[in-house]
This record gives sequence, C-alpha cells and structure tokens, in this order.
Amino acid sequence: MHLGIFKITYNRTATHFMDDCFVNLGEEVILTLLQNSGTSKSANMAGERNPASCYLDERTFQLCCQLFLQHSETIQDGWSWEQIKGTDEGFMKKTVLMPVKPSVLHKQHEYSIQDENMVTDDIQANVEDETAGVQAVCEIHAVLRYEYHVLYSCSYQIPVLYFRASTLDGRPLSLEEVWSNVHPNYRQRLQQGPWDTLTQQEHPLLGQPFFMLHPCRTEEFMKPALDLAQAENKRMNYIVTWLSVVGPVLRLDVPLSYSTEVSAPD
Amino acid sequence: MSDNAESPTETQKDDPSIQHAATEQTGASDEKKKIDVLLKAVGDAPIMKTKKWSVERGRTVQSLAQFISRFLKLEASEQLFIYVNQSFAPSPDQEVGVLFECFGSDGKLVLHYCKSQAWG
Repeated sequence: MHLGIFKITYNRTATHFMDDCFVNLGEEVILTLLQNSGTSKSANMAGERNPASCYLDERTFQLCCQLFLQHSETIQDGWSWEQIKGTDEGFMKKTVLMPVKPSVLHKQHEYSIQDENMVTDDIQANVEDETAGVQAVCEIHAVLRYEYHVLYSCSYQIPVLYFRASTLDGRPLSLEEVWSNVHPNYRQRLQQGPWDTLTQQEHPLLGQPFFMLHPCRTEEFMKPALDLAQAENKRMNYIVTWLSVVGPVLRLDVPLSYSTEVSAPD
Repeated sequence: MSDNAESPTETQKDDPSIQHAATEQTGASDEKKKIDVLLKAVGDAPIMKTKKWSVERGRTVQSLAQFISRFLKLEASEQLFIYVNQSFAPSPDQEVGVLFECFGSDGKLVLHYCKSQAWG
C-alpha cells in the first residue's frame, strides 16, 4: 500500500503534474507516487504550505485526532486511539451496532433468511420481559456491526476512512451489501462509479481485509471548507471537518457538538 | 408570487415546505414552523439566483440538498456538499430547525454549498 517517498531539494516551485504529484513545501519538493494516479491536477492544487492547504502532515493529523478524542470522551461517543506497538503510528477507532432493514442483506441469497432468523432469535432472547410491541420492532430489523478506523495516509497526505462490517454472528458483509447500506443521500453518486468510491482494501497497519472510502478527491470537499475558515480567520480541526463529510456516507454519525467544541491544533 | 429568480415550477409544486423567503404571507406567523436559510455558494459551485429560502424546521439536510441539486440541475455523477458553521458538514438526517437553533444568527441560518465528483 505504501509507496516510496523521495525527498528532492529544489529552489523553484514545481508545478507540473503528470502521473506523479509534486507538492511544494517551501524549498523542498516531495515526490510522491500516487497509487491511483491518472487524474491530472492543476498547478494551484500543489498544496503550498499555507493555512488553506488541503494536505495534512502526520503530526497535525495526530494532534487533530487527540483533540477530537477529548470531545468524544466528553460526550461518550465511543472513539478510541489505537497505537501501533513500537511505532509512533496510530489510528482512531470506533465500533457501532446499527439496525438495518433486512433487505440490505439480501445480496447473499443463501445466507439472508438464515441470518435474519438468527439475529431475531438473539434479540428475542434478550427481550423476553419486554412488551410484544418491542419484540415486533426487533423482528423487523437486522443488526450490523460496523467498525470504523481513521488512518493517516502517507502517500496521499490526508486521512482515510477504513471500516469493516459484519452481521452479529460474525459474517462479514460483502461489497454489494456494503454498497446497499450507503446512506441514500450518496447512493446515486455511488452508483455512478461504485468501484471509484468504496472498495475492499487491506488495512495498511493491521493487514486485514477492510473496506475503504477512496481518498483521491478529498481535496474537492475539503478545500471549500478550508477556504471558508481561512476567509473568516478561523482555524479548523481538519479531522472534524473531514469526518463530518465522509462519516455519514457510511452511516457514521458525527454529532454537531464536534463542530463547536473541538478546537484546532496550535 | 413575484420574484426575479428562475425557479423550476416543478420544485415549487413538489416542495411547498421550501419557499422563497420574500414571498412569505404577511400576517401569518410562520416563525415557529419555518426558518430562514441563506444559501451561499463556495468553490466553483453555481450561484443560486434566489439565496434566501423559508424552510420548514422538520426538513432534513438531505431533502434540502436534493432541492438545491434539482434547482441547480446537477448531474447524477455530481454530489452536493453542505456546510454549516463554515467547516462542518451536518448529517443528511439532521433537521434544519436544529441547525438553526445551534448556528442561526440574525434570524437566519447560513449554509454554504459546493459540488464535486468527490469520490474516487
């Protein structure tokens, strides 16, 4: 997953993009080889080191995450930091149980009916003393387990959202099932190019199969927010803004209070 | 209704809960049911000729985004993004009334929007 990063010193601004992305950071030019290159970028997206840069260095990523996690702790939002032993790398993690309509799981035909019954049995066993009305509601929905990871990508210099999803009995969801559970607000755009959007990918730190929301065009939705904040002389927390945009696509809720209570790193 | 905006009549018929703020009925106290929303384009998003809208509090961000997308005639491959408080994307299921309570000022809620082919 991680490709080579080479450091070359220039004293001129590199503005030419072909398959590689040149990022000008003052007098240093860092040559990064992008995995899914092919989209040409204009020179002014070279990511010059100014407050409105769409790129994020790893240190700032970690600072933003720590501030994010403080608020998560306050409101019991369930996020935690996972440090990779022996390194200074880490990621944010959160697990969510979400009820979904059983039709989300209909993609794998041989499993669907059996899964629904198993899930229903589990829930009914837990609500024996509840009223019939509650049991009726439980029978309608299946419950999925989503585990979200917020990682830093060295090659893209931005955060990336990884996740894995399974039923309660541990069966991993297929790619088709995951696509069918994308929030309706984004589903049409997803259907235009599902393989560009959400695919299976090996987790770069854990080496396990995950799904990933493609990061190539992160700057397209980050840049407007960054420009707005800069125009108002406000510093923003990159992770809060970024996660508020990508989270809901995958049914991950980012409460409004993050917007007002989480500060930007110094 | 008199206005100088080019609004597709179909959206007017489909969304009675989203109306031009300028055409509110006088005398009707809609403050409780509707809030004023000011839509501002960022990036290279098309600018709406009518920027100020009266929206029912219970309307979700998603339905407002759909309204704007239809109004701007976005293509299926384009995604609309909405920001509140300059740099936060509210959940599509969030009610605009709640956003107004949190971020409204001078009697209106300012929302910024942009569009992109953002995924991939």
